[in-house]
Amino acid sequence: MSAVQTEELVEVHEVVDVAASKKARLISGSVLVVVGLLCLLGFGLGSHAGYEARFQLSQPGARIRVPALVLPARITSIVLGVIVVLLGLWRITRGGSRRAMHWVVGASIVAVVVSFLCWSLTGTRGTSLDLLGLLQQTIFLAVPLILGALAGVLCERSGVINVAIEGQMLAGAFAGALIGTVAHNAGAGILAALIAGGLIGALLAVFAIRYLVNQVVLGVVINVLVLGLTGYVYDALMARDQNTYNTPPGLHAISIPGLSDIPILGPLLFQQNAIVYAMYVLIIAIDLALFRSRWGLRTRAVGEHPKAADTVGIKVRRTRFVNVIVGGLVAGLGGASLTIGSALPFGKGMTNGKGFIALAAVIFGRWSPRGAVGAALLFGFADALQNVLSFIGTPVAIPSQFLAMLPYLATILAVAGLVGRVRAPAADGEPYVGR
Amino acid sequence: MKKTVQGIATIGVTFAVALAMTACSSKPKSSANSSSSTTPNSSSPASTAPSSAPSSSSAPVTSPSAASTGSAKLCMVLDTGGVDDRSFNQSSWQGLQDANKANPNIQISYVASNSQNDYTPNLNAEVSKGCDSVIAVGGLMADAVKSVAAANPNQQFAEIDSPSAGPNDYGIQFNTAQGGFLGGYLAASMTKTGKVATYGGLNIPPVTIYMDGFWEGVQYFNQQKGKSVQVLGWDEKNQKGGTFAQSFTDQNKGRSITQSFISQGADIIFPVAGGTGLGSGAAAQASGGKVSVIWVDTDGCESAQQYCSVFLSSVVKGLASSVTTYANAVASGQKLGGQSYIGTLANNGTGLAPFHDFDSKVPANVKSELDQIKSDIESGKISITSPSQPK
Repeated sequence: MSAVQTEELVEVHEVVDVAASKKARLISGSVLVVVGLLCLLGFGLGSHAGYEARFQLSQPGARIRVPALVLPARITSIVLGVIVVLLGLWRITRGGSRRAMHWVVGASIVAVVVSFLCWSLTGTRGTSLDLLGLLQQTIFLAVPLILGALAGVLCERSGVINVAIEGQMLAGAFAGALIGTVAHNAGAGILAALIAGGLIGALLAVFAIRYLVNQVVLGVVINVLVLGLTGYVYDALMARDQNTYNTPPGLHAISIPGLSDIPILGPLLFQQNAIVYAMYVLIIAIDLALFRSRWGLRTRAVGEHPKAADTVGIKVRRTRFVNVIVGGLVAGLGGASLTIGSALPFGKGMTNGKGFIALAAVIFGRWSPRGAVGAALLFGFADALQNVLSFIGTPVAIPSQFLAMLPYLATILAVAGLVGRVRAPAADGEPYVGR
Repeated sequence: MKKTVQGIATIGVTFAVALAMTACSSKPKSSANSSSSTTPNSSSPASTAPSSAPSSSSAPVTSPSAASTGSAKLCMVLDTGGVDDRSFNQSSWQGLQDANKANPNIQISYVASNSQNDYTPNLNAEVSKGCDSVIAVGGLMADAVKSVAAANPNQQFAEIDSPSAGPNDYGIQFNTAQGGFLGGYLAASMTKTGKVATYGGLNIPPVTIYMDGFWEGVQYFNQQKGKSVQVLGWDEKNQKGGTFAQSFTDQNKGRSITQSFISQGADIIFPVAGGTGLGSGAAAQASGGKVSVIWVDTDGCESAQQYCSVFLSSVVKGLASSVTTYANAVASGQKLGGQSYIGTLANNGTGLAPFHDFDSKVPANVKSELDQIKSDIESGKISITSPSQPK
């Protein structure tokens, strides 16, 4: 907790931030207090006294062994619950800036999750949870969401709403599987996925920017178009001869020498396939470019106030075109992660709504790359956690349908209760017709 | 503030609209695809006969006629997942194709359902086409079939995975808990880590019956051998719990669930989730031989060949042959409504597929124990307690 405290001190000096309104403080503070009390009573007092929660941090047979983390389940849950309650009270009485609130939300989410995990491991004595495996699954499930969300940020920052992420990803997954299989080359498949995503992006751009079609309607139509198109080719070609057209080569995990030997982080982040490494680069590059480069400044100007941007000589439409097409490329890569990235054949509608979850991550992340990545990781974690909880043997059996709600419950709570007001780029969704 | 609320509302509405549109938009396309020459996967013959099975007749009908001489028009309504799901839709359609191949006077067609909202419209559309029998695939369609069959008393229906719902409806069911039992025993015998796992597509009886059987097979092994092999993902005593992908098409979810099982120590996985299960094949392949998969419904080495090297075996369901037999019966003029057929180990309606690549790795004593269990189940010496069994 001390880390958070010091961080706040730094923030106070650095940021001139509007203090949150009294009402907002009261609402978010009370949410935290209630959640903290639930933690305390439900997970703390609800777990068997004297049981230990074992978290494994390395896989059996790994080169570097990390000893398992063993916590007294009940005490840990109670302490974490109390901390969340205190954070809530602090929020109500002292308020604090919006920046500080980010840390409070982050710390509370971690505290609630850890106390929940401690509780869930007290079902039978001696259960241990492979925490590293859980985090690895989080990343696996979050990769398409992160790439989709980055695509959304690129488009929406320049003022074009991208509801077509789902379609761009599906096109990427399809083209990647087909071309990758026919060419017997994963690289060719990834290239095809990029092109396919980019083409769908170009379609969105032409109709949204050149022909001023309502962007939300357009996005929905594009999604349906891609679903139909890929479904048709799948039926006509791939389904008849899966071996020739639909057995994409998988990507092998590449260990980065040095980095992959770091305990926990090594196997988590640096034993991944090429698409994941490309994702790391994209996250950093887009975040830097958007806030530190000329292109980024222009993009944000075009998204906030296109007329003003136009008067200083920025080509509004061209900037938007470029951004939407680049977004399509990134979403196409996200699609490739579903087929080539995980060595799976294409299946009709295999994106299963991931594009829409990515869109939610864009909003939850307040249209910033960092925020979107964080949101996507949270969704990935909720999904991975749901898998593990379904067979770990929790003290109270949780019905499988309820567990299936977990990622969506996390979304609603996060967006409605904790993040609060979000502001889209001012010109998001408004076509620019020129002076 | 207003703008934000508006924005979120727009997204929500969009999502709903998108889902609704994707659900109904591609329907005409697939329903157009209905000629008998369409062979979605001609490379997989419907030979799902278990290897260890003695030669016994699998005829669900009282007067079997191998290649009937009559003619009939048979229409099939498929469940979601598509005709190429490498699972129950595909095998059911394969059964009709086999019937058509043996007797070209049997005209066949299918219509796919993209969501559960398509069941009733699809069934009604098939009724108005003047089919001799409408075959509904999947237990989820039971309510829709019941009401449509009651509204059209002169139309013959058949429904897979559900008992007869009226005097004009023929039920085709399978006690796959028996096949699952063999799969569970096999998994328990072959595991090196002492942990095996299973997961389903949805928590519905046609799925959980396999998982029940699998679970019971493992318990039987433990009891016989004094071992304590653990089953992750399902416990017959807790029918509301268990691990489910909530989808029959989300392969990445299947892969992720399988990885979670592997990281908790399981080394044999039994996915009961149609196409979602392909993710288990990919995860097992990536494990480099440490993990194997028992496939479901069809012989995996025929329906999902690229993962044959990791398939220990498959728990099969004699869908194709029972549909073929039914088609021949309809062609020869029989009206079977009101009756039900239950596929069991005894009539080859379920069982284990050949071991293929694992044939040399499965010890001879395990094979003979499996044969013994099979005959014990047939004779009733071993009783299966799954609540989802057809009665």
